Amino acid sequence: MPSEETKERVVRAIDFGRTVLHYGWIPFIIYVGYTRSNPQPSLIKLISPLA
Amino acid sequence: MAAVLHEQSSVPGSHTVTSPPLNNSSHFSAFSPFANAYSRFSSWRAALSLPNPGTVENLQKEVKTTHLTNFIFDGARADLMKGLSMDPAFQVTHSFQLASQSAPPTYSFGALFANAKVLLQGNVDHEGNVSGRFQQNWSTSNISKVQAQLGMQPGHTMIQLEHDYSGLDYTLNAKVINPSPLDGSGIYVGSYLQSISKSLALGIETLYQRAALDQAEMTSSYLAKLMGSDGKWIATAQFQPIGVLQATYWHKLSEKVEAAADLQVIAAPMRRDAIATVGAKYDLRMSTFRAQLDSTGKVSALLEQRFAPSFAFTVAGEIDHFKNAAKIGVGVMIESTSLTPEEMGMVPPPGQPHF
Repeated sequence: MPSEETKERVVRAIDFGRTVLHYGWIPFIIYVGYTRSNPQPSLIKLISPLA
Repeated sequence: MAAVLHEQSSVPGSHTVTSPPLNNSSHFSAFSPFANAYSRFSSWRAALSLPNPGTVENLQKEVKTTHLTNFIFDGARADLMKGLSMDPAFQVTHSFQLASQSAPPTYSFGALFANAKVLLQGNVDHEGNVSGRFQQNWSTSNISKVQAQLGMQPGHTMIQLEHDYSGLDYTLNAKVINPSPLDGSGIYVGSYLQSISKSLALGIETLYQRAALDQAEMTSSYLAKLMGSDGKWIATAQFQPIGVLQATYWHKLSEKVEAAADLQVIAAPMRRDAIATVGAKYDLRMSTFRAQLDSTGKVSALLEQRFAPSFAFTVAGEIDHFKNAAKIGVGVMIESTSLTPEEMGMVPPPGQPHF
């Protein structure tokens, strides 16, 4: 059985991971798509719905 | 092996010298019947040339794509899809939805990246709720998937880890939903589907649910799938011992017309209920039309009309005769691309991982 301190640390690590995933997932996909795309699109076309 | 033993036993003098390797080899040969039997069994199994039954998740896929339950909407919606690259596939989507009777107006942004090995997909709405999917194809038979939903409130988080293995004539799937490394709580699902003959596959799905306070619950359901030899029809059944049965039947009537029926029966001690649904789908050259009728008195239809390759118009309608209620939906979908026709390539894009 892990100690209270370890438990606390695991809970905090999971919380941190969730926050990173929450704010980082969409930017991560855009970054991967933007760098791997062929040909590379312009950034404004990527974000704006109208361009 | 037998010849070696025979030779050694025929020379009495050498017996004491060779006894350790003899012991060793007899120890080894104890397993060889099993290895032999296994290899004979697997070659016999390969000789049957049974088809792969498909995954448990896709058991009712044909029925779900024929029925419009998963496609219907009400109010107005607009989807602006922008393809930025074909190989690897990369696209972003802006969707707007308003005037729905049941849901508040929403805006959401989606991004998708896919090549032959990896699929990354994400969606974020105006309130900041993120949903994401990740899929890795290790080989043609091993696929790992992760799905997550991350809400702004702490309680609205879900993560699901999944692995699919497709063998020669069977499929295995393991799934974990919201696992906690501290107390082992979460939902664990395992399923196995095996082809019994060319047209019949049987399977079992077991769900193990463990709450935090050492309360665990296990339920199994049994699956069957019967296919026509020419792939023209599929019948499936799923039975849970608590008294839930779902049976479906799908038939491809012609190249352009598919029909499907679905029956759900709940006969638990607390609740008795049954719903039957029949529907048809017509795939025309520039449009798709779905119509559906169910035993709760709902008649619904959905028409997707494509006016140009990049512009589609959708109308959905539903009338509930028993409750005297109606819903109507209108949608547009605009696909734009920053690519020239040459860049898009006249060849179709390479196989995206299917989802």
